[in-house]
Amino acid sequence: MGKSLLSLTGINKYYDKNHILKDVSFEVIDGEFLTFLGPSGCGKTTLLRCIAGLEEIDSGDILLKGQSIKGLSPNKRNVNTVFQNYSLFPHLNVYDNIAYGPRVKKSMAGDELKTKITDMLELVQMSGYEERMPNQLSGGEKQRIAIARALINEPDILLLDEPLGALDLKLRKHMQRELAHLQEKTGTTFIYVTHDQDEALNMSHRIAVIEKGRIQQLGSPREIYNNPRNLFVASFIGDRNIRKVKILEGGEGFAKVELGSNIIDIRCVHEAQHPCKSGDTAILAIHTDKMQVSCHEMPNSIKGIVTSIHFAGSQTRIDVDVDGEDMIVIEYLKNECECKVGDPVYLVWEETGAVLLPLEDSEDPRGFEEGDAV
Amino acid sequence: MRSRTKGFGTFYLSLFFVVLYFPVLSVILYSFNSSPSTAKWAGFTLDWYRELFSDGVIGQSFKTSIQVALLTSVLSAVLGTAAAIISLSVSKRVEKTIQGVMILPLLVPEVALGISLLIFFTALGLPFGHLTLVLSHSLFCVPYIYIMVQLRLKEIDKSVIEAARDLGATRGQTIRTIIIPLVMPSIITASLLALAMSLDDVVISSYMSGPRSTTLPVHIFSMMRVGVTPKINALCTLILVGTFFIVGLGQLAGKKNRIKEEF
Repeated sequence: MGKSLLSLTGINKYYDKNHILKDVSFEVIDGEFLTFLGPSGCGKTTLLRCIAGLEEIDSGDILLKGQSIKGLSPNKRNVNTVFQNYSLFPHLNVYDNIAYGPRVKKSMAGDELKTKITDMLELVQMSGYEERMPNQLSGGEKQRIAIARALINEPDILLLDEPLGALDLKLRKHMQRELAHLQEKTGTTFIYVTHDQDEALNMSHRIAVIEKGRIQQLGSPREIYNNPRNLFVASFIGDRNIRKVKILEGGEGFAKVELGSNIIDIRCVHEAQHPCKSGDTAILAIHTDKMQVSCHEMPNSIKGIVTSIHFAGSQTRIDVDVDGEDMIVIEYLKNECECKVGDPVYLVWEETGAVLLPLEDSEDPRGFEEGDAV
Repeated sequence: MRSRTKGFGTFYLSLFFVVLYFPVLSVILYSFNSSPSTAKWAGFTLDWYRELFSDGVIGQSFKTSIQVALLTSVLSAVLGTAAAIISLSVSKRVEKTIQGVMILPLLVPEVALGISLLIFFTALGLPFGHLTLVLSHSLFCVPYIYIMVQLRLKEIDKSVIEAARDLGATRGQTIRTIIIPLVMPSIITASLLALAMSLDDVVISSYMSGPRSTTLPVHIFSMMRVGVTPKINALCTLILVGTFFIVGLGQLAGKKNRIKEEF
């Protein structure tokens, strides 16, 4: 893709003594849909607000199109925000809400403004709503008006702070598609904040996984999903069986590991980031939906006993006891082996579904519970 | 058990309202009494109102009261609102300080406040009259306006203000186009309250009145020295009606605002 539009270097932010953002640096590429994904309280919204100018940074620099915007007040930055709770002006109707930006900046007036507002309403599929007051709109409608109100200013970047958080599931799915479509159509760079991994994986070109004020990983949804760089990303994105293993033999893209009473070979198909040494303890993370249950003995498999089977329509969840801890397998296809509770089974997995990660040395012991598929 | 408690509650409330409003009702009643004595009812008359309207001194003091009240409500609305808006964008500690200083005049006894203002204005060499009345009335009205506007400001979603800034508005534009319109109902309600408070103030006004600027309540007070005449009853009735009208107007403004906010 294209050139860098926004560049953050060494951003630190404190609230009193709390270190909210820790040395955050990254680039935003012109025209991309970038998502900040992380649990609540990880600093993702603060980071967004720092870009918008609603929070000041304590150190570091923010460059927009090569120019530092550090210390500039929000009205002097060519970025606009769509707030979580819409924040439409309650005393102004839809037309005046959208016209607010151009009016205060005196950038447009008269027929030009009128035409532009009509275009904007059409873009967000809200034509004919000019006279409505915000309290006459539904959540989804308010959100569209908030987007139109921001986009009319033709910002370099549109910042969206969990804009779909307050909507119900069905509408949220619909709005996800619409937002992605809108981004494509306008070509505006979007920075989107969410705690919902589905939303992030669905819409983004790139995802920055944030935790404890740090970017844990920045990459395409595929990279993030298939090749997590550390335990936090592995446990936060996708459902995985996460287990501590002992490395018996390590090599280039290959490791022989001990998982309880099983000794298995793991092929590291992903770019190896952590050279494994024999004797090390590491973490094995396997996608629950990339595992399969077999009644027959299979080579290179994990042995266990079925403890429960939950049928849930398109998928079946099978809990398998492996050395006293459950592993979860999600089967999407009909299994040729109709196993029953109590049957001894053999678990196999797709190579792309398994990753070996270093035992966490970060300050955060959270996120690791043995045998827990998060 | 339950109905007995309820019965007692109703009884208590009725008693409460009777005690509270009976004196008020008696004033209204006796303003129509044809006998000058409050001891007995001698028939209905409007004479006292006629006499009231032909009294030039009362008319003059009524005019003074209205002028002072209007100026006071405008001045204190501006000062109180400004203070409330300023305290929105300062640190918590400064805000607490502003709040404390603002509320202080409510705690100082009026007699003391009156004397101190008397000394202060004399020292400044200000002539006693409309000006001193308006300034001193504003002093005790500003806190109410400040409190009411500040409460309303606290209810406003902060992100609405941030949204305005984000969309390109300067601080001034945000105050003018977003904050003031959103708190307007509170400003109106508070100004009407200030109007009512200025109209019926006696203590401070009696210190501040100048030669040709006696307010109505002060004048009533001096009339009382001669004795309670039914003319005073008539005057009080009119003041009551006026005050209720102003307060009612304020309530209405507040109610309308609440309906608009529900979304």
